[in-house]
Amino acid sequence: MTVFEGLEAQELTKRYGPKKALEEASFVAEKAGFTVLLGPTGAGKTTTLRLLSGLEPQTKGRIYLDGREVSGLAPKDRDLAMIFDNLALYPNKNGFENLASPLVQRKRPLSEIRQKVYSLAEKLNLTLVLDRLPKTMSGGEKQRLALGRALVREPRFFLLDEPLSSVDAPLRFKLRSELKRLQKQEARSFLMATPDFAEALAVGDKIITLNKGRVTQIATPKDLYARPVDLTTATFVGSPPINLFKGRFEGGALSFLGLRCPCPGPLAKILMASPRDFTVGLRPENAALILPPNEPRPEDIVGAAPLVDIEPLGRTLAVTLKLNGERLTTLASAAVLSRLTLGQEIKFKINEPESVLAFNSAGRNFLA
Amino acid sequence: MLNRPLSLWQIPLLLVALALVLFPIFWLVMTAIKPPIDWNASPAIWIPSEPTLINFRTLFDPAAIRAYGVGGVSQAATKAVVGSIVASVSATFLAVALGLVSAIGLSRYSRTNWSTPLVILSGRMFPPAAIAVPFVIIFSLTSLMDTYPGLVAIYTAVTLPFSTWMLKSFVDDLPREMEEAAMLDGKSRIMAHLTVTVPLIKGGLFSTTMLVFILNWSEYMFAQVLSNTELATIPVQLAKYVTATAGTLYGVQAALAVLAMIPLILGGFFIQGHLARGLTFGAIKK
Repeated sequence: MTVFEGLEAQELTKRYGPKKALEEASFVAEKAGFTVLLGPTGAGKTTTLRLLSGLEPQTKGRIYLDGREVSGLAPKDRDLAMIFDNLALYPNKNGFENLASPLVQRKRPLSEIRQKVYSLAEKLNLTLVLDRLPKTMSGGEKQRLALGRALVREPRFFLLDEPLSSVDAPLRFKLRSELKRLQKQEARSFLMATPDFAEALAVGDKIITLNKGRVTQIATPKDLYARPVDLTTATFVGSPPINLFKGRFEGGALSFLGLRCPCPGPLAKILMASPRDFTVGLRPENAALILPPNEPRPEDIVGAAPLVDIEPLGRTLAVTLKLNGERLTTLASAAVLSRLTLGQEIKFKINEPESVLAFNSAGRNFLA
Repeated sequence: MLNRPLSLWQIPLLLVALALVLFPIFWLVMTAIKPPIDWNASPAIWIPSEPTLINFRTLFDPAAIRAYGVGGVSQAATKAVVGSIVASVSATFLAVALGLVSAIGLSRYSRTNWSTPLVILSGRMFPPAAIAVPFVIIFSLTSLMDTYPGLVAIYTAVTLPFSTWMLKSFVDDLPREMEEAAMLDGKSRIMAHLTVTVPLIKGGLFSTTMLVFILNWSEYMFAQVLSNTELATIPVQLAKYVTATAGTLYGVQAALAVLAMIPLILGGFFIQGHLARGLTFGAIKK
């Protein structure tokens, strides 16, 4: 029998009194992979990491690390490293001492400690802060120091709890690619919690979505985006958020916003069997404006509606049209801004009708 | 820390406050060096023309004051000074040590947010006099009357709620991730608390120790009620400088009070540098 290499949670459950923080979460995070726990605040991400690390006992469930059950072990015996969302650097220790502490606590020889700390400090660009206290460091330096404190040892798994939440957007962007590079370069095993779908899609090999204490979906970033399991996930992943419309299935076609859209085969089969009302999900990029002098081609699925909102997003615009009381937000190039006026009737078309999503009355994706 | 200049209206207020605090101390020190004739002279003598150390000598040699024609007390203050040191130091150590353990327990491992701390505080919710009599009865039955272990036990019990609550607030301020990081790095829970939590609340530990020590050092009622011949503390001794023949020996009382102030002043200077709260500033995101 081959042993699963990585971290495995089986029906992990945590209750605080009657409050359910985590309900029967089962998932695996592969060794040398970058797995992301994605979910809104309160979804149970931090609880999951705290149970995995052993900082809190689970109410129920088992945890395996490289095939060995660690469910009841003390944190120090699990051989994991964790980066906390508040970083938790030792305020009374300088950069060197912070980096060295995991090795010192494991009683490594001084020569090894020096060698490892200095080489890691170089790699993380921390050489200049080794003799400074955390309070004198910049946000990025503290972030890298916390990362370094986890990386200095070679634990079996790294747990990262929103590690980039405390830095500004531009730095976050830079640090997340650095994080991904570090993980890949040295084949480290990462499990990172984040509420930011863009971060999850950017770094994750695999994404586990959590909502209200339950695992809702386990998928690759591509699949998660293309085939969210339910409405909550579909709305949480993507910006501007996915458009949702009342839909009907009529004569082999999807009908929404007064448009008729050819229905992809597998979906048609399901809808044929249950022709009730359902919800159609259309990502902003799956609709496009048609502005004069452009004219729709005969094969296009076209509609027209008044423009009710324009939100500049830098190089693009989020443009919202209102049709029969429903709102359609789509993206347009910022260059067309001067040609748009509120209230103006605008033509639009549906791109890639096969990527239209449909959800049943319980909010589940028909195709999930 | 205050690092902006005082505004104009603050200066007179501060001066008044300062005078209120310092005047009794000034009067005490002056009385301590007055010869008996000046003690309660009228009009009052602010600064004695012939300062003397006779009051201090009388503390340790009760007969010395007779040279001034004043009747003394029979007992030297030595025993009371030693007694106060023994009782206050041991009770303070116990209260702070137990308080630290309870504080960490309540802050980190208790899921009841307020009921347990409140129960602990309930020991202070009535005047100490209310429990003095029961204590006398219990102590008589258990041969703890008039013993240092008895006094230390009651001081510890009375100050433990303070030390627990104070220390709990310091531990609460410290993010638990600090010690959790150490646990993941290879420390047991106990070692993580000893090597991470305790050093990081050092300031709180010093100020709590100081406060508890002051409470014990100046406690009068329990010591008075529980002592007979074996037990003596400074506050009890102070009350003994009232003689039938010469009235109150103000100068001798003042001299003992001045001596009693010294360890508190030294302690205050010592912990001043450690009183910085917000030691964790900059190490975590807020």
